[in-house]
Amino acid sequence: MNCSKFETDIALYAGGDLPPGRMARVEAHLGECADCRALAEDLRAEQALLGELRDAPLEDAMVAQVRQRVLVEVRRAGFSPRGALAPLLAIAAALVLAVILAWPRHHSGAAPRVAAASHAAQAEAGRVPAAAHGAAPLMRKLRHHLRRTPAAQPGPPLLVQFVTDDPNIVIYWLVDQKPQGD
Amino acid sequence: MTAYPRENSGEMAAFERIMSQCERRVLRVALRLLNNPQDAQDAAQEVFLRLYKHLGSLDETRGCEPWLYRVTVNVCHDIARGRRHSLGLTEVPEPAASQPDAYHDAERAQQREIVRRGLSRLGEKERTALVLRDVEGLSTREVAGILGSSENTVRSQISTARLKLRDFTGRLLRRRS
Repeated sequence: MNCSKFETDIALYAGGDLPPGRMARVEAHLGECADCRALAEDLRAEQALLGELRDAPLEDAMVAQVRQRVLVEVRRAGFSPRGALAPLLAIAAALVLAVILAWPRHHSGAAPRVAAASHAAQAEAGRVPAAAHGAAPLMRKLRHHLRRTPAAQPGPPLLVQFVTDDPNIVIYWLVDQKPQGD
Repeated sequence: MTAYPRENSGEMAAFERIMSQCERRVLRVALRLLNNPQDAQDAAQEVFLRLYKHLGSLDETRGCEPWLYRVTVNVCHDIARGRRHSLGLTEVPEPAASQPDAYHDAERAQQREIVRRGLSRLGEKERTALVLRDVEGLSTREVAGILGSSENTVRSQISTARLKLRDFTGRLLRRRS
């Protein structure tokens, strides 16, 4: 009898993996073929040995080594998103601080405009809602900067005289000068 | 989806709990797939580091076993391809049986050793399918899900693997008897 065409199905049958539609045909063949019954028996014994491999004990030291290495690595590298973001947050905070500290020196030209707005800002600060109190340090910094910037003093008015062809007509024009120190 | 906790102490506690539940399983599968204790330890370490990284995105209600099996298989395949170890026959000593002097136990341990050697001689895909199905006892459907294959493909692989293993063990056992 040509049994080779049954071998694949017998291998599945021994492990309980044969689809139900092919079961009857294999069982009928096993009923009449001693060689294939021996094959099925060997395969079942093999299954049992493979199952015992699952239950074979692992050396505790081997398991402990892996655990130790993993925990050391996790704690050393800070794998968590929280750990990964911490340096970024620190850099961002440093950048914001640097901008705040450097800004008055490099933008002194804008001082008059800021000064113009400062009264409104100070007035507004008294009405800052509680939720916005996080901006308080920034406002304090701004006020400090305004105190350090001397108040803009306007110069004396400039007198412009237009002389016409008629000696009896002279036009005088008073022009306010821009504040000095710009 | 209920994710595993990721914040503060809950994160490490959840991770250590999963690791203590699964470390032997992961190591065992890695050992069977790589047949080398050092490589298996490296693989298990990599698997658990990946678990820690992905802990927040895993669905706790589904359990992380399928994910762990899948990653273990992938990591082991990567290591095997990278290192191309020759599969030594004595690289993984079986731990001593509790009663090594008992004749039956010794004979059984010898048979297991032959099966283990036979496993190491199978091709990568066949060995992986057989380890997951017959050693780990997962269903064909679960194995197919882990390997990203169809159930028919897995059946074909385990059928071929069982027959090859039976030929190998049969030859060795006949030689010994």
